[in-house]
Amino acid sequence: MERSSFASRKRAYILTSVIVALIGILVVRLYQLQFLEFSSFRSQAESNSIRRLSKEPLRGLIFDKNGNLIVDNNPSYTLTVTPFEFAWESLPILKRLFDVDTNVVRYRISQAGKNTFQPVKISRDLSFIQLSLLEEYRTMLPGVDYTIESRRIYNLKANLSHLLGYTKEISPWLLNNLGDYYQPGDMVGFNGIEAYYEEELRGNKGYSYLSVDSRGRVIESFGHGRSDIPARQGKDLVLTIDMDLQQHGERLLRGKRGAIVAIDPRNGEVLAFVSAPDYDLRDFSGRISLDVWNALRENPHSPMFNRCSMATYPPGSTFKMLVAIAALQEGIIDTDTRIACPGSYLLAGQEFGCHGAHGDINVVKALEHSCNVFFYKLIFKLGFTNLQKYGRIFHFGVPTGMDISNESSGIIPSEEYYDKRYGTRWNIGYLVNLGIGQGEINATPLQMAAFTASLANGGTYYRPHAVREMLDRVTGDVHAVEKGARALPLSKNALEVIQRGMYRAVHGSGTGSAARVAGVRIAGKTGTAQNPPNPDHAWFVGYAPVDDPRIALAVIVEQGGFGGVVAAPIAGSMMRRYLLGPGIPHTPEGSQNDVEQVSPVLPEPSTVSED
Amino acid sequence: MRNSITRFSPRHIDWLLILPILLLITAGLLSVYSATHNADLYIRFQKQVFWTVLGLLVLILVQFAPSRFFHYVAYPAYAGSVLLLVLVLLFGKTVAGNSGWFGIGGYGIQPAEFAKVATILALARFLADSTTSLHSFKDLAMAIGIVGLPWLLILLQPDFGTGLVYWAIFLMMIFWAGAEMVLLLTLLSPVLVAVLSIIGLWYFLVTALLVSILFYLMKRNLGVALLFLALNFSIGFGVQYTYAHLPEYQRSRVAVFFDPTEAPLGAGWNVIQSKVAIGSGGLTGRGYMQGSQTQLRFVPEQWTDFIFCVPAEEFGFLGALMIITLFTFLLLRGLRLARILEFRFSSLVAIGITAMLLFHIYVNIGMTLGIIPVIGLPLPFMSYGGSFFLTSMIAAGILLHAWMNRDTIA
Repeated sequence: MERSSFASRKRAYILTSVIVALIGILVVRLYQLQFLEFSSFRSQAESNSIRRLSKEPLRGLIFDKNGNLIVDNNPSYTLTVTPFEFAWESLPILKRLFDVDTNVVRYRISQAGKNTFQPVKISRDLSFIQLSLLEEYRTMLPGVDYTIESRRIYNLKANLSHLLGYTKEISPWLLNNLGDYYQPGDMVGFNGIEAYYEEELRGNKGYSYLSVDSRGRVIESFGHGRSDIPARQGKDLVLTIDMDLQQHGERLLRGKRGAIVAIDPRNGEVLAFVSAPDYDLRDFSGRISLDVWNALRENPHSPMFNRCSMATYPPGSTFKMLVAIAALQEGIIDTDTRIACPGSYLLAGQEFGCHGAHGDINVVKALEHSCNVFFYKLIFKLGFTNLQKYGRIFHFGVPTGMDISNESSGIIPSEEYYDKRYGTRWNIGYLVNLGIGQGEINATPLQMAAFTASLANGGTYYRPHAVREMLDRVTGDVHAVEKGARALPLSKNALEVIQRGMYRAVHGSGTGSAARVAGVRIAGKTGTAQNPPNPDHAWFVGYAPVDDPRIALAVIVEQGGFGGVVAAPIAGSMMRRYLLGPGIPHTPEGSQNDVEQVSPVLPEPSTVSED
Repeated sequence: MRNSITRFSPRHIDWLLILPILLLITAGLLSVYSATHNADLYIRFQKQVFWTVLGLLVLILVQFAPSRFFHYVAYPAYAGSVLLLVLVLLFGKTVAGNSGWFGIGGYGIQPAEFAKVATILALARFLADSTTSLHSFKDLAMAIGIVGLPWLLILLQPDFGTGLVYWAIFLMMIFWAGAEMVLLLTLLSPVLVAVLSIIGLWYFLVTALLVSILFYLMKRNLGVALLFLALNFSIGFGVQYTYAHLPEYQRSRVAVFFDPTEAPLGAGWNVIQSKVAIGSGGLTGRGYMQGSQTQLRFVPEQWTDFIFCVPAEEFGFLGALMIITLFTFLLLRGLRLARILEFRFSSLVAIGITAMLLFHIYVNIGMTLGIIPVIGLPLPFMSYGGSFFLTSMIAAGILLHAWMNRDTIA
């Protein structure tokens, strides 16, 4: 038997070896799949079997101070493509029917990655004609569908564009930086409170989980819908904005470049937030036309630029209150301290001018007449350290924390700042200019308004805010927005001195008389910020009524000229409108037309920085 | 000599064979349950329980058959099987492009499966015959004919995959019967040529030529060498022609093997989903009835041909390795039985059965792992389905029977 090699030992060994070798290959392959490629397969398995469909939540509504609905939603039809079912051959039809950019389709589908069951949004705001075309050509367009989204509609008398912001399709950059919630094509708040309150407004997407089989057919709701998450609509916002005042402010700045920020000094509520020029939010409802967008971007007056909280300007004379209150609080001066103003100030051979020779004056008079020499001298007594300290408590050089997405810090320069910027090539002359709010000192109109409000209310700094409360319609909860009140370390005395100076600046023989309103006692301060080589910026900050302030504001007109001439009447008109209501046209009583004269000072860098 | 039927003792049972089988059946039932417990498929699990019970009864019946029973029934069983294969071609019903089914009530029967065992028996009987010599061309042609007849009938169904098993069985049995290596190479050459012909014309032409030259140099038999050259050429061109005229689903299965990602929704889908299922199992798996690929039916036909995915996904590498180890035990035990059994017929049957199981196990698991083309062969003892399960049980019963009677027949 062995000779015929039947069932030989050798052949048994060969067969054993073959079996073991074959099985060995299986085990090696098993190891390869389950260890080496495990993570890839595990993630594939997880994205594979459960098809997640998102459901769009309704974006929160926005009401004005009086409960009028100003930002609403309208249904909008968005073209979608499900990558799993989509046939690339139908791309030309898609392009012809809906005028879509084929690159957008490619990009969106490539972005979908493994979750090819989730429809991706291709094009917004389908017309009813396009909708019926979709129905008609549906068989030729596998995987093409539409979804109903909400788009913003605006019911506004004023523009309010910079405060509200707008919604727009999420950018690739934001998509990478906002985390997992968003998908390409989602709408997201840009700028203003739409961006700041994005998380509250947007609500939360709902998800339904569907089990699908090998061909992508839906078998059933996964786990009988137990895992489904219903969409949660966004919270509604109630603004603090007084629409009539806002509208009035926008009218006053029409044809100008500038900003008005009005704040209720009793609580920090922003009453008006005017940045001119602005734009019509209705152009941003749904799909923004490229022409409108480009026109806005290329407009030399930058209508998209939020001048209230983004633009920083040298505050000019409106900054003198800060120098004064710091000196008073530090005990460097009191009301009896008199400083001589011979009409100019000489430092290291350079002459710093004043608009008149004011003689021996105290701080109240210095504010009333906006005496430069008084503050040139005072700033040396105060020094960098105190300037920093008091600047900081009024949120100069740091954002106010207003509930708006974009806010600049402004600058209060310190010695370190100059060291860093100029090395050793700077001198004490740089400090002189800071005394009158010139030089490398920058503040936003919002910072100036909040500063003025805290002077008006007797030393409480409220975080400016434009949203009073948030309404959760699901739970019915009303959540009041934090006012962020902070008592400032200032004596009543010091504040009263400043308030007196500001009152006299309007009602005395000061520079602010153009802001006067019949029957209302107003405190304020003009400013004329140098802006070489261009015309000066016109400032006015003030509040009213002085006994019980209900409005504090800051007005700036870019390259407007003298603050007392250009900005003060606008401020007066705003205060009259707010305190007395519409109907009485504003005629400044006893306009003096006295103007601030600021002598040429050290050359300075560009004054409007868009940082 | 003991009377093995009246004085039965546990010694008569080949525990080394039956234990892995029982464990595999259990694993199979758990897997089929996991893959089908969703409402509309549950009937399959119930049917599988029925097959299991029936299979165990058949196993016992076969084990306790008279001692030389299978030697006697080898040729009649073979003849009966061939008859059934003819009948099924004429009257069978068609399931998924394959007309090899008889419907009995709600159950389907595939004669091609039972014919495997009958063919093993017939070939073993023929090769065990003392007058048979593999050096004789006539006897070799006879052996080829015994396998070739049912194979041709199955090919007509058409069922390419099941047909292949016959040749695997054939090669291993004649190897065991003492065929020379060069003969095996020559006999294997048509398979090689068939595969190569799909890849390219020159590959198979050169291979066919080389094999014939080698055969001539070793055996100095120009006639046979030329015959094989002609055979290989006709097979090569025949396969190329057949491939071009194959039913779409089978051609795509072959094409997809070369690149499964080519048609993720076609035949490649099975392989991709199967690999995802297995790969996602990792070391310890996702937990019983927790595998998303299995539970959400991402692997088509999972309860039949892709049953291996279930333990691999839900019990991970450890579970899969356990299954493979059990199969390895089973195969090595089959081989061991072929060595132990002195009755030449029984020894050849043991090799034939081992070959059948090896081919099924390797092709099935290899296919789920994506290293073998998808040629629907069920996994022994585990896959859902009655015919092959019963065939495997009969085969196992025959081995048990041979073990029990190892001393009575020699």
